[in-house]
Amino acid sequence: MASMVANGNRDGRQGEALVLKGVDPETCMIVFKNHWAQVVKILEKHDPLRSNTSSNMAALGVIGLSSGGPMRFGGPIPGDEASAVQNYVEHILFLLMEEDAGQAGAMGPILEFVVMENVMERLFLWSLRRQFTDDMKLEQLKMYEMIVGQARQPLLHHKPVLRPLMMLLSSCSGTAGPEVEAELVSLLNQLCCVLAKDQSVLELFFHTSEDQGAANFLIFSLLIPFIHREGLVGQQARDALLLIMSLSAENQRVAQHIAENTYFCPVLATGLSGLYSSLPTKLEVPGEEWHCLHREDWLQMPTLVQFLNSLEFCNAVIQVAHPNIRDQLVSYIYNGFLVPVLAPALHKPTLEEVMTTTAYLDLFVRSVSEPVLLQTFLSFILLHRHENVHILDTLVSRINTPFQLGTVSLALFQTLIGLYCEDVMLQLILRYLIPCNHMMLSQRRVVKERDFYSVSAAKILALTPSCCSPEHSPPPLRQLDSILWSKGTDNSPNTGTMETEETFLEEDGSGYSCVIGSEIYLDVNYLHYLYNARLGISSCTRACQVWSAPYDGEDPPPEESHPHPRPRPPCPPQTTDPAPTNQLELEWDDSYDAGPVVSPEAATAESSKPPQLPAAEPPKHIQEMRRTAIMLVKGSYIEESDFQDDVMVYDLVAKKDARDTVTKGSKEVKAHVADHNSNLQSPLAEVGDDLMGQYEELIRTLGSDEAGTGGSSPVKTVDKEFRNPVVTPMEEDEVDFSSFSMDTPELEKQHSSLFGTKLCSGSTRSHSVPFTGPFVSVLLSRLENMLDNSLHVNLLLTGILAQLAAYPQPLLQSFLLNTNMVFQPSVRSLYQVLASLKNQIEQQASTKKDFPKLITSAQHCLLARESSLKGQDSRECSPLEAGRMMKSSPPPQPKTISLARTEVFATVLFTEFLKELAAIAQEHSILSHVPMEE
Amino acid sequence: TYLNDFWEKGRSDGEEQSGEQQQQRASPARPSFGKKQLPSIPKNAVPITKPASPAATAQLANGTHASYGPFYLEYSLLAEFTLVIKQKLPGIYVQPSYKSALMWFGVIFIRHGLYQDGVFKFTVYIPDNYPDGECPRVVFDIPVFHPLVDPVSGELDVRRAFTKWRRNHNHIWQVLMYARTVFYKINTMEPLNPEAAVLYDKDVQLFKSKVVDSVKLCNSHLFDQPKMDDPYAISFSSWNPAIHDEAKERMFSHKRRPEDHQKGLPVSGLSWVKPGSTQPFSKDDNPPLS
Repeated sequence: MASMVANGNRDGRQGEALVLKGVDPETCMIVFKNHWAQVVKILEKHDPLRSNTSSNMAALGVIGLSSGGPMRFGGPIPGDEASAVQNYVEHILFLLMEEDAGQAGAMGPILEFVVMENVMERLFLWSLRRQFTDDMKLEQLKMYEMIVGQARQPLLHHKPVLRPLMMLLSSCSGTAGPEVEAELVSLLNQLCCVLAKDQSVLELFFHTSEDQGAANFLIFSLLIPFIHREGLVGQQARDALLLIMSLSAENQRVAQHIAENTYFCPVLATGLSGLYSSLPTKLEVPGEEWHCLHREDWLQMPTLVQFLNSLEFCNAVIQVAHPNIRDQLVSYIYNGFLVPVLAPALHKPTLEEVMTTTAYLDLFVRSVSEPVLLQTFLSFILLHRHENVHILDTLVSRINTPFQLGTVSLALFQTLIGLYCEDVMLQLILRYLIPCNHMMLSQRRVVKERDFYSVSAAKILALTPSCCSPEHSPPPLRQLDSILWSKGTDNSPNTGTMETEETFLEEDGSGYSCVIGSEIYLDVNYLHYLYNARLGISSCTRACQVWSAPYDGEDPPPEESHPHPRPRPPCPPQTTDPAPTNQLELEWDDSYDAGPVVSPEAATAESSKPPQLPAAEPPKHIQEMRRTAIMLVKGSYIEESDFQDDVMVYDLVAKKDARDTVTKGSKEVKAHVADHNSNLQSPLAEVGDDLMGQYEELIRTLGSDEAGTGGSSPVKTVDKEFRNPVVTPMEEDEVDFSSFSMDTPELEKQHSSLFGTKLCSGSTRSHSVPFTGPFVSVLLSRLENMLDNSLHVNLLLTGILAQLAAYPQPLLQSFLLNTNMVFQPSVRSLYQVLASLKNQIEQQASTKKDFPKLITSAQHCLLARESSLKGQDSRECSPLEAGRMMKSSPPPQPKTISLARTEVFATVLFTEFLKELAAIAQEHSILSHVPMEE
Repeated sequence: TYLNDFWEKGRSDGEEQSGEQQQQRASPARPSFGKKQLPSIPKNAVPITKPASPAATAQLANGTHASYGPFYLEYSLLAEFTLVIKQKLPGIYVQPSYKSALMWFGVIFIRHGLYQDGVFKFTVYIPDNYPDGECPRVVFDIPVFHPLVDPVSGELDVRRAFTKWRRNHNHIWQVLMYARTVFYKINTMEPLNPEAAVLYDKDVQLFKSKVVDSVKLCNSHLFDQPKMDDPYAISFSSWNPAIHDEAKERMFSHKRRPEDHQKGLPVSGLSWVKPGSTQPFSKDDNPPLS
């Protein structure tokens, strides 16, 4: 026996256990006592007090704990004695572990002895008496981990076991080496497992803590510093904390303690901030196509992985913890991370930084699953104002920026729309549609009407450009197969037989066959669109069952929501912002409510005065924004042209930055702008084929003019000249916009605000003016530029629009898909934009001889791309979606056509988009009107 | 398969619980949906033997209508069918055929009046230029003795009620409703069965006894094989507790607690909007953020 035990090191325990079985308990007890007697001899020999150890133990313990340094009582302990004790201890602990509980849960004799003799305390004191080094701590920790984890009877119920354990634990708090930390966390984790299984121990832990004079829940407090640790230690600590969290859900006392007496929630939330600050402020973007952080992207970034781990932990805590803890944590995340850290990060000075933050935000929203935490993020996005501008408005305005910021912003909105969240949809779109201002009064009853005969689908599909019509492209490119629809009925009731002379018969085992022949060409591809539309609408409809209202033009009622004040943010507006001092500023500041419309005269008068800066200067950011706003105050965001202008201004800035000196033939600028306006009125009319080109040239001309006369920045003048004609409703007022140029910010200054928060959405306008909201406007204006957009932008755009179209709310459906609906003249509809695109395409097709060939190449290229994407990702099912799921790796470059031929790719995509929309419209006609049932 | 899904629903929503049980044949297995494989829709599809309507074709240029026309027709009929379900017509059941969406099988249960206890199977034929053609036709499997039912073909005179079929105004459920009404309100004007009309006007007692005979005749053929060889044709079998008890139980229990049924579904949508409000995060139970 002795030799067997002596062999045993910790790794060999399992083997020994087998051997020990069957050894009778009395023998074990004898061996135990024997070994303990040997230990006691050595212990007493070195006991400086040589008195009753247990009575003084606590005092010694406290001294030992507080210093934590080397402690000696009496002379140094000889090494051989130390190792002898070590040996005996191993043996007795082993015997303790292997002992079975007595009858009816009573202690086994060995445990009873351990408790009576205070074995564990004395051993702990012994280790204090020697040098209490990391090694010593490690040894003790391992000892406890072993007996707690492997004992066959509950040990922690007994104070003589628990107390020295608590002393050991508290001695390990604070600074210790990584090995000790790892072991400590591992032991804590184990203790939490015991707690989770046996809650009666919990009380003991609390009591023991009180004995120690510290009213804290020690194992919990010890874990907190490891919350954000990376690697195994952090993971174990978080797992252990989660166990306690789920315990808190049932135990009010634990919950209260954590919420009131610990720094758990603040540590978690501020930890997020800390980890966030170590993330790269600028991402290395793999390619132009890149628009969001995929898993394979962030797995390459250790700091981001770490952040996401902590975020995931917060998510898990919120999921399992007591509501008190949950609410506290959510509040800290909002006020300790989102508002002070993420909001400023979304307003960093460079495009790349802002783009990066947006991509992070998108990733975070996608990573969070717990509704309460998601709500925190969403209310930050939807309601928080940073320097008096809603985050949402800023984000929406950025959709219109060139470069990747626009694409990344689009991707963020794709994520948001995909949440099926009423609050998001309300803020983005529905609140603008509820008043039903966008349609003619007589049309309100049409909102809920269903399209029985696929009229809208037919109208949408009739926009298919002639060069892409189904007959024109040969199979297999268009994935057309000809299906002969079976002649089930013909005209007479009794001739219900199928014709069988066709080329291909497909038996499905039922005796009924599907006849495929050559009689009618059907776009088989379209069946897939229908199938996807059905899936999309069904899941969306099911998800929207939790919504508060049907949004059908009656509920919520159009009248009540008419004034529609902007909801207040959860935090009071910042007091550092001065009160508005003049009417223009008032206009700007109140813009989020239904502010009064400034008369053009007043606007001119006010703005021609030197700006009256209040005593306390508003933040620079706000100042610049305000300046931009003043410039735009008249013409800003009138439905038809506003966002179009934005695109051009952004592009302008971009081009200027790039020192791109493209020269084009000159044209009369004003004529062009006027053209542009009239085109917007009637979308079917010609829209300038190369607005950007003309715009560049405009700058050039004006720039040189200015150089002759005074040499101010060309951009100012452009703004001046350009904006003037665009202010359609105000044109008669002959506003002298040149007066604004005095206050026009320099290009550099303007630059920072341009991709920031220029937008003031549906606010500078009076609410009586029909407006479908900035988000819809910005989407449609980007869509209108489809022919100039890169492929991936168009994929995102059409994806978002299809996503929106799948929503079952009649207000949304009728606005996007009902081609029979009559809207107010100033309201631009999706169908109008599509019709205008079709005309642009037809024009291109008629002027470019090789257009059909290019179309075919582009189709080939897209098909190849789709199948290559399919290979990468197996969960794809839709033809177009496959294309949408763009990966960071560049697609196989087509041999015959360059992706720069955006108009060609856009044409192909446009055709597919029509099918997608038509399919959605058709499915709505049968799905949205049937009560959901599975 | 759409139609079939709706049918399942339509059946369970119905109120009819007569002694007989309708029984469908098991639906034939459909091939699973795969990318390059033709899905099952064409099988339910309808023939296009002539343009839907000259006007529509002319208006829709560049061939999109030729390619998509069948889809429009299919979905128009699906929409009609969803409307029928919504109406919950008492005592009427319909089921589109497997072969064509233009042919619907139906059965009508008459609960009171002269034709009480009558169970009449019929077929609805929808013109293939629907909704621009004439009104759908209703033909009873067995010509029931009725002034408006042709004693030879079994066709009901529907056209008198829908002289001109108007899209958006007329719907197939109205035809079915009409088919039901004729058994409760007898009209003898311009009859297809003059004998029945004359008897009703001149000798109601004889008319009644003829009706009783006709009802008996129809009911005696109830368990016959369906006239049409179609997997979705409606066929009846006599009560078999082993099969029908369980089905009945399911139908009743399902009807009683549709809410519970829905509660079980995991819902992925989110809303923090208080009902009646149009403000985001207006619900009271939102955790405070500041």
